[in-house]
Amino acid sequence: MKSKDKPLTFRGKHLFLTVLCLYILFFLFNSQSAFLALQKSATVFTKILPIIAVVIILTALLNFFLQPKQMARHLGHESGIRGWFWSLLAGVVSHGPIYAWYPLLENLREHGMKDELIVVFFASRAIKIPLIPIMIDYFGLPFTLLLSFYMLFGALLQGVCMQWLQSTKVQQI
Amino acid sequence: MQPNKQSTQRPPFSKVLQKSSLSFLAMMPLLLGVIGLVGLFQVLVTPEMLASLFQGNPLLDTLLGTLIGGISAGNPFISYILGGELVEQGISLYAVSAFILSWVTLGLIQLPAEVEIFGGRFTLYRNMLSFVFVMLIAAATTFSLQVIL
Repeated sequence: MKSKDKPLTFRGKHLFLTVLCLYILFFLFNSQSAFLALQKSATVFTKILPIIAVVIILTALLNFFLQPKQMARHLGHESGIRGWFWSLLAGVVSHGPIYAWYPLLENLREHGMKDELIVVFFASRAIKIPLIPIMIDYFGLPFTLLLSFYMLFGALLQGVCMQWLQSTKVQQI
Repeated sequence: MQPNKQSTQRPPFSKVLQKSSLSFLAMMPLLLGVIGLVGLFQVLVTPEMLASLFQGNPLLDTLLGTLIGGISAGNPFISYILGGELVEQGISLYAVSAFILSWVTLGLIQLPAEVEIFGGRFTLYRNMLSFVFVMLIAAATTFSLQVIL
């Protein structure tokens, strides 16, 4: 495997350092609000810890049970309708902030997952199953059903558009 | 036979799990950076500040709703509460639908991380599509609702 001997290189060091500088500046000017921001970040981090654990285990399980060729068959160029269906379903059931899912998506992409299917995953995440009762309470059942339907349909259309954009890119090359 | 050959080549699960944990560890600065930005945003930009930006013009508010939702961060639950309040204040459902949709699909805060992981072209295409579709879905939902009810 290509990634077998990859050394551990940290990603996003510049972003991390920039945010660190912002916090230092914020602490100098308004330490109380800066501390509150730090507390809120810590709360977000604690909340996504279980999701991180799920993503790590899921990535490991996928890599263990599915060979790259099999992954490509399910989500790659030969996946067909099945790939679209799995991406849509995965997007709907995935929980937590999207950035917690980046490592898994990157891993799947390295194994051949098509960009249009990643777009479908991203777009279908707009449907939050645990929050549906709250949405019904605030906006009513007809609104919730219509919005959910259009979100699913829109997710697939976005995938189709991405496919078209990618094909025009390839043609240009 | 091919399957047997594959299974003998398969590394132990502990090794695969370790590799998966290490690749996540490598991404920690990126995740911590995004989470740090979320905390800063939640303190510096209050929901009241966001709600005050709406003008009462359905077309402009739909665009504003998409933009405001796109720069906001936090649990989608907050967008529902805020959206409910906006509807009560007389803001059009077009704008509110766009706002709650872009809250989850667009993300200015995670943009640097998205570029780092998926590349600039993918991020540009995805966010562009998302931006357009948020407004289309908001318009389709509200229009259909008006026709049905």
